[in-house]
Amino acid sequence: MGKRIRQFFFPSLTPWFLIRICLVAIFAYLFFGYIFIPIRIQGTSMEPTYRNGGMNFCSTLHYLFSKLKRQDVVAVRFAGNRVMLLKRVVALEGEQVEFRAGKLFVDGEELPEPYVLNPCNWNLPPREVEKGCVYVVGDNRSMPIENHYFGQTSVKRIVGVPLW
Amino acid sequence: MVRLRYILIALVVVGLGLLVTVYFSQSEEKRVRKQFDLLSEYVSRDPDENTIAMAHNMQKLGSLFGDSCELKIAVEFLSGTYTREEIASYAARARARFPKLSLEFLDLEITFPENGFAKVSLTARLTGRTRAGEQMRETRELECLLKKIEKKWLFNNIEVIEVLRK
Repeated sequence: MGKRIRQFFFPSLTPWFLIRICLVAIFAYLFFGYIFIPIRIQGTSMEPTYRNGGMNFCSTLHYLFSKLKRQDVVAVRFAGNRVMLLKRVVALEGEQVEFRAGKLFVDGEELPEPYVLNPCNWNLPPREVEKGCVYVVGDNRSMPIENHYFGQTSVKRIVGVPLW
Repeated sequence: MVRLRYILIALVVVGLGLLVTVYFSQSEEKRVRKQFDLLSEYVSRDPDENTIAMAHNMQKLGSLFGDSCELKIAVEFLSGTYTREEIASYAARARARFPKLSLEFLDLEITFPENGFAKVSLTARLTGRTRAGEQMRETRELECLLKKIEKKWLFNNIEVIEVLRK
């Protein structure tokens, strides 16, 4: 028993063990580097859905098996490969989006937003979402509209979705 | 046998040519990266930087840019074409507001679309502390165009990529 415990914590450095270690390292690099990217949430724009300082994983394969749709929370590549924005899709290409007294309207119809807990008084004239783009907004609308970073972005910038 | 010899010689020549091409293109890439390292060095500052060092850095900063450099950012009134003296002047004024400032360039992707031009996509991270003690941290994606003038790579165009458009 003691020998087994010792072998578990201090394994013999056999060639097979070293090969296993290399394979695990390569798999971990590929898995956490390209498939489930660990992310740390900085900022309050998606509260209370995602809190500042929270941890999550960005699943990059999600849209291989499903289509992008309204109210999906997505990770948008902001700068390089390290910085992403976490936002919610509120309108798809070709749709017209506007804010009237804090209410979101898509193609003239008010969109129910149960995830928005703090009321706001945002006003934004109607604008059409361009081809190849989606319109994304954070869930936390408690700040003035000028202080909230939102808008339309290219679908190519969408990296994936948070795992939970 | 003779034919094989010619084939081998041809392969060696082609191989050498490839090595030389790779070496020189990597050298150009290193030179372009060096310009970004210098830009980062001249913009960054420590609280104990004296006036002479500041003036020296600003003069050097200006020399990294061409006679004119186009700046494109979301804030319309800041976009435009600036001379290197104007850039140095505005940079000096902006820097003066931050006792501590750090500019880093990350994830540089360099291509040479045509002879004498280098296109660079990168991430720029600016961190600092204002005189009031507030921490500042901004990260942006940039696209820069550098032009080779008299063997020096000079900034010709800088665009801050707008990811979200209201």
